[in-house]
Amino acid sequence: MLRNVLHRIARKLGSIIALVLLGGLLSATLVRLAPGFDADERELDPSLSAESVNALRHSRAAEHNILLYYTSYLRGAARGDLGVSHALGQPVLTLLRERWPVTARVVGMGLLLAWVLATTLAFSACLWRRPLYEVFGITLSGAFLCIPAAVLALLSVILNAPGYLAIALIVFPKIYRYARNLLAKAYALPHITAARARGLGEVRILAWHVLPITGPQMIALGGITVSIALGASIPVEALCGLPGIGQLAWQAALSRDLPLLVNLTVLVTLVTLLANSGADVMNYMLRPHEPQRGVDLA
Amino acid sequence: MIGRRGCLRLALFLCLAVLCVCGSTLAQSGGELRFCLHSEPKTFDPLLVDDDSSLAVRYLTAGVLIRSNRRTQALEPELAESWKVAKDGKQITFKLRHGITFSDGSPFSSEDVAFTIQRLMDPALHSPTGDAFRSGSGAVSTKIIAPDQISIVFPAAVAGLDRLFDQVAIMSAHSPKKTAAVLGPFMVAEYKAGSTVLLRRNPNYWKKDSQGHRLPYLDSIRLDIQPNRDVEMLRFKRGELDLINVMDSEYFDRLAASSPGLAHDAGASLDSEFMWFNQVANAPIPEYKRAWFRSTNFRRAISQAINRADMSRVVFNGHAQPAVGPVSPANKFWFNSKLQAEPYRPVSALKLLQSDGFHQQSGFLYDKSGNAVEFSIVTNAGNKPRERMAVMVQEDLADLGIKVNVVTLDFPSLIERISQKFNYEAAMLGFRNIDLDPNGQMNIWLSSAENHAWNPQQKSPETAWEAEIDRLMRAQASTADEKKRKESFDRVQEIVADQVPFIYLVNVNALSAVSNAVQGANPVILAPQTFWNAERLTLNATVQASR
Repeated sequence: MLRNVLHRIARKLGSIIALVLLGGLLSATLVRLAPGFDADERELDPSLSAESVNALRHSRAAEHNILLYYTSYLRGAARGDLGVSHALGQPVLTLLRERWPVTARVVGMGLLLAWVLATTLAFSACLWRRPLYEVFGITLSGAFLCIPAAVLALLSVILNAPGYLAIALIVFPKIYRYARNLLAKAYALPHITAARARGLGEVRILAWHVLPITGPQMIALGGITVSIALGASIPVEALCGLPGIGQLAWQAALSRDLPLLVNLTVLVTLVTLLANSGADVMNYMLRPHEPQRGVDLA
Repeated sequence: MIGRRGCLRLALFLCLAVLCVCGSTLAQSGGELRFCLHSEPKTFDPLLVDDDSSLAVRYLTAGVLIRSNRRTQALEPELAESWKVAKDGKQITFKLRHGITFSDGSPFSSEDVAFTIQRLMDPALHSPTGDAFRSGSGAVSTKIIAPDQISIVFPAAVAGLDRLFDQVAIMSAHSPKKTAAVLGPFMVAEYKAGSTVLLRRNPNYWKKDSQGHRLPYLDSIRLDIQPNRDVEMLRFKRGELDLINVMDSEYFDRLAASSPGLAHDAGASLDSEFMWFNQVANAPIPEYKRAWFRSTNFRRAISQAINRADMSRVVFNGHAQPAVGPVSPANKFWFNSKLQAEPYRPVSALKLLQSDGFHQQSGFLYDKSGNAVEFSIVTNAGNKPRERMAVMVQEDLADLGIKVNVVTLDFPSLIERISQKFNYEAAMLGFRNIDLDPNGQMNIWLSSAENHAWNPQQKSPETAWEAEIDRLMRAQASTADEKKRKESFDRVQEIVADQVPFIYLVNVNALSAVSNAVQGANPVILAPQTFWNAERLTLNATVQASR
């Protein structure tokens, strides 16, 4: 079992590294193709001499050939040098180090709140099967599903609410709808109906019969919600003025900051893949296994 | 003998006197002023400053030899007790103040000035501040005459030489703290990327007020990095911020409606909004359109067909003035007072177009070859007033039968189009002018310059009037005689008004907000509008206590 898990983790890590590198290259290529990639607003500064404007243009010359740029980026990254942001004039590593904790806190708190709210409502609706719970959950999730992320972020600014609340409200409807459907299907299974008819307690039904069925899919959903929350952190941090990775990504996109965008893509890809792979590995570990016969049952 | 009533009066008088003294002491010291920067400062190196946020930090922390008073526009001695510019405009000699130290305690002397100038003029540094001093080829030399006296010699005359020193932050030659050792009223104490810059009072700041109190009065200034103007306004209304340095008219009117005492309109600023047509010879636009754009009559007609007064009223709610030319009337010395803003004259505009062979047919305008007159104006997306101005131009020109398409692009795309690919027909932008002297506009007016927007980098001037502007700009730059300089630049303004390479639209008013907590604020039109006298600003006792 342990050997299989380790083998699975190693395979996952290999594919993660390959995908992260590919993501970085794709990001660099797309930024290079974006209109205005080679322009710097300082070029319009009349106080700059022609020599200074030329120097400004030459400073980006190394980025013109994307393969050369990416190779030198990877060489630098191997030494721990992620380059220097054009827009902010600071080492990318410093920027990521300073801002990552803010995003981790906002996304982490947002996810926690969203999961607690969504699962509480979903379990309430399925356990007690009262129309009120059902209508309340569906209306609430429907409402937040319709409101754009930017509007929720603005509302949190106006109400002086913390940024993670906006993230929670963006992620909550997705979790609620999926979890509720999953639980409803599980509770409709014949053996659970039979268990209920025989007077088995709700907690026992939940722990012994419902969770083993829904657990793997809920864990997989957990991995997906990490990437949803990360995506939502961009408008939320930009609008709420939170100095995290999301705000940095917004600034980098607006200023076509290639070093920053490549590193942010790599980072977000890495976190998303790790979250999903973590969920996958956890599912594998929790799944009941047949006795080993030298074959990976995954 | 003093009676019982007399005793009471005396006691009351003494109490009042004590309260007054306490009150004035409370108002004159301590507290943290708070306002927003709209972007991350790109650098804390004062010689490399090129963005608004870094400029604000530099203004509050840097010690300069000469300061341009933002209210009177006159030059005032700061670290230099006095100065003298040589008649040929190539040399400036400073007499420095005694007993001044940097924030880290290292003494200030002419060595620091020499070090700063040498670093500033290092060609490898590409300092925007240093570039303003480059008037000819050759090195800049410094001559230390005494610890308190220094001469700086330039290879050629530098126009408005003394005024340029307003931007030069003197750095320490010996301090191990390098750029962190400052001579200004505040120093950078803490920087949290994306969040705040905290400035603390410089304990060694040299200035004192008339009563001998050491300046600045404030303990600290907290600059919150907040790109979102809605959030800034919200926080100002909640009392979390004390100033909004620059506001647009929409926010201004909203604030003026709810709290009229807090909104300040200082009048027309130096900033201008303008549009221009692409006249670049190899630009990827149809040849017949290039012919229109190169026609002076066409450009004049477009200028006459735009209703600037309406634009000021509708787009800026009256907080803008119709623009006259490259210099705002707010620039007291350099504005050519003989010129006036182009009035709205659609009939005259049509006549001018007809004289060039244009004709109207079924409500549309056609050129002499039968091409319908249609062009697009590109401008930056997200700037609401500018987008609305473009729409007003569209409506005004529709009355002449001209179809205008408004295209908004994000800033990098716009820059690429107007300065690299020249793939545009007309563009609308604004010019943020922080320099009163026209020499700062050399890179706009010289036909060979990069920022000669309508037709940049010409090997030789393509028109006689551009050649004349080149001559006049070089003439004003090569003399220190202010009268001759003014004559030359007045003529430049007249040529620009006549040839209309830029169609100047409005000068936007300097709008700002100052909370009741701040005492001593006197918003002006020159940047930094609200905190130009930061060293003398105070906060009232209630706000100080609450922070």
